[in-house]
Amino acid sequence: MKRVSDRIVTGAAWLSGGGLMLAAAVVIGFLILRGYKNLDLALLFGDTPWQAAIMGERPVFGGIWPAFMGTFYLVFLSSAMAIPIGIASGIYLAEYASRRLRSLLGFFVDLLAGTPSIVMGLFGFTAILFLRKTLLPEAQTCLFLAAACIALLVLPYVIRITETSIEAIPEPLRLLGYSVGFTRWRNLRSVLLPLASRGMLSGAILAVGRASEDTAVILLTGVVAHAGIPGSMFDKFEALPFRIYYLAAEYRNLGELDQGFATSLVLLCISGTLFLIAVCLQKSAEMRWKRR
Amino acid sequence: MEETVRKIMEPILSVENLSVHFSDKPVLQDVSLSLWPGEITVIVGPSGSGKSTLLRAVNRLNELYPHCRTSGSVRLRIHGESGDVYRGFMALSELRQRVGMVFQTPAVFPFSIQKNLTLPLQVYLGVNGSTLTERMEEILRDVGLWEEVKDRLRDDATTLSGGQQQRLCIARMLALKPAVLLLDEPTASLDFKSAARIEKLLLNLKRRYGILAVSHSLAQTRRIADRVCVLREGRIVQELDHEHLRDPDAFQTIIDVAF
Amino acid sequence: MFACNGNVETFVLFRLSDKSEKWIEWILLIATCISAVAIIAILSLLVAFCLPLFTLGRIRGVLSSQWQPSGGYFGILPMCAGSLALSLLALSIAFPAAMGICTLLHVLARGVFNRFLLATVRFMTGIPTVVYGFVSVFLLVPPMREWLGAGTGFSLLTAAFTLSLLILPTIVLVLHARLEQIDPILRLASEALGLTPIQQMRHVLFPVASRGMVVAAVLGMGRAIGDTLISLMVAGNAPQFPVSLYHSIRTLTAHVALVVATDSRSMAYQSVFAAGLGLFLVTGLITLFIRKSGKAGREVRREKGF
Repeated sequence: MKRVSDRIVTGAAWLSGGGLMLAAAVVIGFLILRGYKNLDLALLFGDTPWQAAIMGERPVFGGIWPAFMGTFYLVFLSSAMAIPIGIASGIYLAEYASRRLRSLLGFFVDLLAGTPSIVMGLFGFTAILFLRKTLLPEAQTCLFLAAACIALLVLPYVIRITETSIEAIPEPLRLLGYSVGFTRWRNLRSVLLPLASRGMLSGAILAVGRASEDTAVILLTGVVAHAGIPGSMFDKFEALPFRIYYLAAEYRNLGELDQGFATSLVLLCISGTLFLIAVCLQKSAEMRWKRR
Repeated sequence: MEETVRKIMEPILSVENLSVHFSDKPVLQDVSLSLWPGEITVIVGPSGSGKSTLLRAVNRLNELYPHCRTSGSVRLRIHGESGDVYRGFMALSELRQRVGMVFQTPAVFPFSIQKNLTLPLQVYLGVNGSTLTERMEEILRDVGLWEEVKDRLRDDATTLSGGQQQRLCIARMLALKPAVLLLDEPTASLDFKSAARIEKLLLNLKRRYGILAVSHSLAQTRRIADRVCVLREGRIVQELDHEHLRDPDAFQTIIDVAF
Repeated sequence: MFACNGNVETFVLFRLSDKSEKWIEWILLIATCISAVAIIAILSLLVAFCLPLFTLGRIRGVLSSQWQPSGGYFGILPMCAGSLALSLLALSIAFPAAMGICTLLHVLARGVFNRFLLATVRFMTGIPTVVYGFVSVFLLVPPMREWLGAGTGFSLLTAAFTLSLLILPTIVLVLHARLEQIDPILRLASEALGLTPIQQMRHVLFPVASRGMVVAAVLGMGRAIGDTLISLMVAGNAPQFPVSLYHSIRTLTAHVALVVATDSRSMAYQSVFAAGLGLFLVTGLITLFIRKSGKAGREVRREKGF
């Protein structure tokens, strides 16, 4: 009797494990199968010669180059905001904050981490409505707004990972600097931050990966289907994940559908690679202290 | 007298030419020993000499660790039948019910005291209802814990003191009606008084079970052991019996030499 | 006496840093406060934009069960029900699967396969949501339509399958981390009692990790409620109550995306703010719950002297 229930549970466990691996393989395999043959320059640039497209001499219509650049700008801008702020917050929470302040501010960080991205997008959208009513009647959703909202979305990752990588440093090493008379900041700069750098880097890369894949935020904060490459931070823009979403719903011919698969594959490669790098860095950072 | 008893009775457990390697590093080499019911055999030796590995070889717990290779035989005698546990004498699960084990740190489950005891009974024997309660009381009386916990059976077992936890672990092991008990430094994490209680309990239990223990304390060894095996670098270098144990100074000398 | 070069330098350094130390601390504090400011800003903007609903007494209109902007009906209750149904369904698929996978990881699978399985789970958290949605549209929707006769194939069930795949890695990783923390001696003890691997899992490891299981489930639920893209892409977006697995539904998140994307009249917007505020509050409560139970867990550990 017992053995039978054991066997059923064992079967179910293998089934769920196998199902997960199968699902992952199907998702990736399907994209590769349908997408790989379209991974070429035409995917990026359409009919436009690539030199001209890269130099911005001629606009690209058929290809995903504008979406690619849009995502690039978006990730660049949001990282430029989120990473320094996140690292600074992580340092403060790990080394400076008193216990109560830490618990309080940490709660806000957790709240931010738990906020759904659509709410973050809605926040950006309401901020524009608010600005229109008050200071800037001309305000509209744009690249800068989207980047700011995405920065808020990925900020908690950077903060938490910075914090944990500083805390993972063993006690004797954390006190080492003080024991030779360093001030707090000097100890941080010359002992703790170098030791925690690998973990912090993984946090930054994870943030970049998350920023590149999020769709819900930009949906409400200025992404449009055919914006071209944004001329300034206050223009509308395109982005890879939005392009995929758009093509899934509104493809007009098989060519566009193929482009959708190829674009998904590109995005999967980008965020998958970033993610793997981040995880590897994190693992190696963890191992460093475990071995001692 | 004792010798004749021994000759008549077959050992309940006999380890023959046992070697254990962890990733090609020898931990035990060519160890042989026998265990008779009614006796406590204590293994002593410096740390890292393979004491725990020897115990764990008996109930095949070493196999939990990767890259472990065991050779030789461990013969167990149950209900007049005997066989090698490494050659399919009985199923792994049954072997571990027949050979109970207690660890250095009390390994109570973070459930209620009651559940700690009833869990194995329910899982194996399908015992339920009043039989279960009776059985629980009987075992708790066996280890002298009943009076202390009878009013708080539903409390978390981790609220007990270290000594009580260890006795609960012994009770949990006895619930499965084992034939051999393996005790891996059962009093090492306890204070003097709790340790003394456990020693008394063991002297009581040895009438019914074969007991193989590891001890770190020579004084304790003298108090409870009927036989002592000195283990060094994975080999048994000396076996002592009552004669050697009687005289503390002689015992000390032998141990000093052996270590 | 202090002519020695090193001493002078230290002295100057100390003077300099004494002042800049304070500055640095302030800058770091301000950076940290940005998170708090952001949360307060989100909450107050959403509340501010929801206020007209209350002052003008339109809240009953929003909390009603019909959404038909052209007819003047702006109820978001179907979407609330849709969100709830979808995330519960996804969780009820993903959670047992996560338990199975953790059983594999902890007692059944060994060596290379074990590591490969865990790596796959980790990698899956890195797959973009929109990719899951895209693949699902072309791989899951057509069979649902043709084999199960589920209308257009864009249905509650389709979305639940896809969403369960999205939240599964999160649940597995949280549960796995909790199981890893269990004192190895308990594992050894249950092994020594002769419990089979499955019995160990069922009678010892899962019960010991019960609090972690609750946290994992709640976290998975939070992710499911907060997800936009999957429901937007494969749930069909019909603003109706979820009455069957094969019907199309609309979630709160998808509702927000759809209404903001298509220009609508002001009342429609207000319903969107209400939806956003609701989502924010629900996920906030989830965060609070997880923090509380995390704290309780830590305190219990401290009491036991671990």
